[in-house]
Amino acid sequence: MRSFLGCFRLKKAVHKPGSGDHAILASETTFTVNEVEALHDLYNQLSSSIIDDGLIHKEEFQLALFDNGSKQSLLADRLFDLFDLKQNGVIEFGEFVRSLSIFHPNAPEAEKVAFVFRLYDLRCTGYIERDELKELVLALLNELDLTLSNDAVEAIVDKTIMEADLKGDGRIDPEEWKELVARHPSILKNMTVPYLTEITLAFPSFVLNTGVQESEL
Amino acid sequence: MADTTPKPSQSNQPTSNLLNNKYELGRLIGSGSFARVYHAKNLLTGETVAMKVVSKDKIIKAGMMDQVKREISIMKKVHHPNIVKLHEVMATKSKIYFAMEYLRGGELFEKVSQGRLKEDSARNFFKQLVCAVDFCHSRGVYHRDLKLENLLLDENGNLKVTDFGLSAFSENLKQDGLLHTACGTPAYVAPEVIGKRGYDGAKADLWSCGVILFVLLSGYLPFQSKNIISMYKKIYRADFKFPPWFSPETQMIVNGLLDPNPITRISASELMDTSWFKFNKTIPQNVKPMSESDGIESEEEKEKETLNAFHIISLSEGFDLSPLFGERKEEEMRFATAAAASRVIERMEEVGKAAEFSVRKSESKVRLVGNESGRKGKLAIEAETFAVTAALTVVEVKKGGGDTFEYNQFCSKELRPALTDIVWTADKSLTT
Repeated sequence: MRSFLGCFRLKKAVHKPGSGDHAILASETTFTVNEVEALHDLYNQLSSSIIDDGLIHKEEFQLALFDNGSKQSLLADRLFDLFDLKQNGVIEFGEFVRSLSIFHPNAPEAEKVAFVFRLYDLRCTGYIERDELKELVLALLNELDLTLSNDAVEAIVDKTIMEADLKGDGRIDPEEWKELVARHPSILKNMTVPYLTEITLAFPSFVLNTGVQESEL
Repeated sequence: MADTTPKPSQSNQPTSNLLNNKYELGRLIGSGSFARVYHAKNLLTGETVAMKVVSKDKIIKAGMMDQVKREISIMKKVHHPNIVKLHEVMATKSKIYFAMEYLRGGELFEKVSQGRLKEDSARNFFKQLVCAVDFCHSRGVYHRDLKLENLLLDENGNLKVTDFGLSAFSENLKQDGLLHTACGTPAYVAPEVIGKRGYDGAKADLWSCGVILFVLLSGYLPFQSKNIISMYKKIYRADFKFPPWFSPETQMIVNGLLDPNPITRISASELMDTSWFKFNKTIPQNVKPMSESDGIESEEEKEKETLNAFHIISLSEGFDLSPLFGERKEEEMRFATAAAASRVIERMEEVGKAAEFSVRKSESKVRLVGNESGRKGKLAIEAETFAVTAALTVVEVKKGGGDTFEYNQFCSKELRPALTDIVWTADKSLTT
């Protein structure tokens, strides 16, 4: 059975973007063409972990983030939704590269700020509403197996809204968000993944089959 | 750049002096049969790197492509203050580019060619070498080509081993001196390696360390001969003579390392346990022992940040992409507790004292520093507490210095057990 599957996998045509696609992605992101090629290696691994169709499904994304693939996390779901730019239920390679680019240490701060705002704006209203913030806090407490009294959760949410909501309309708009983040840069900590600077070392297969011409480097 | 027609050039000379719009290639600083090394500047960071350029043709012809790929992954594993860092790899259809840490201090070889070293100075370099080698061995990585030419110095005179893992095409970039071994000569090679039987990579590396120590103290190679067969014979019998200025202790160390029998040859841990190795004389000039430069700088206490709801949210495991890259964030441990910050700090202090670590603390922070140097300098653990509400404290524990393996071990064996009863779990839920 296993060998049959192995053969099947070998014969299966994996979607392989031409070097032209890689060059376009590189020009539009913080990555070089070689880094895009290295990311393609990673993408192939992730996109074939459950269904080998060259696309990252939500289950595959979760499997990659958690040892236990069945774990539920509101933020992992939100990340998947934001990565899935076309909103068609899968992360395509281009979407994967463009989204990861924002997590690169050299990516512009403003992109990171905007990304997290969209992440927390659960219902895409253009604001982080009080109830969205509460939902996020509850989801985290649930994830950590922590139970806090409703009053305690309310107090944390109130305090944060009070600090952030400079205009006093009970919700956080992008401008207020920017100011809050400026005061608490550590809120953005998760938006910088240092490993992204080392992807050429982590996935070095591209050195053999790179499509980059000498004149293009 | 786009309008120049690429010429089918067979030379190793890059067609442009700009790579990926990121590295500006400068002068050639070394060349050999496989590689050329250029001075290069990272335009994003201003950092200078040594850019090793290798022709793929030659690697493929030598059948070493898989080895090269494997060795790139190895280099990623061996981050150590005494090992030259590989920053990034780039490739085109015809060449591979390795952006490596550039060292301003030159080769240790140059120092020795000006005259043999004094014992204290030789010991200082040798200790750093053994630290790097032992660290790699702990990660299952063997150098297999240790020699004086692979030992470089940074601007502070610290030793850095180069070509660790890239030994597939390590070679002499210069062939100008007495000690520079011609390609393929076994001056540094252990007898069991010549024998081509299966051998213990760690013990073979230690033999080479022994040859290096001998060279540092004497200024010449222990095994020399006009023809290779008689050289092999000398190596097999460990047939060498000490010059009169070798102290009895150093003779003992060199004899322990240049033991033709790999089984009885001294191991790294035995070596590091000798009083000769431990001897610590304050080294003149600006040569700092590695352990003190490795992340144990005293830092100003940062202004304390209060946590808000967004900090709590970002504790979510679902918002941490590092596992995508096969990396689990072992180096940071965050947990919530109902205990007051002072109690967490107190508990950490107890753990530190029990392990005979030195403890520094403030109201919200504590730092434990090991008193003995580990594989990567002294182990340091930092914990910071953040009060979210009166009843909820978030604690962040991270490595402040030292080796990650040793840190993880400390966390699982000492720290976690000591903290279990204050780490928050569902059954100890809060009732405010």
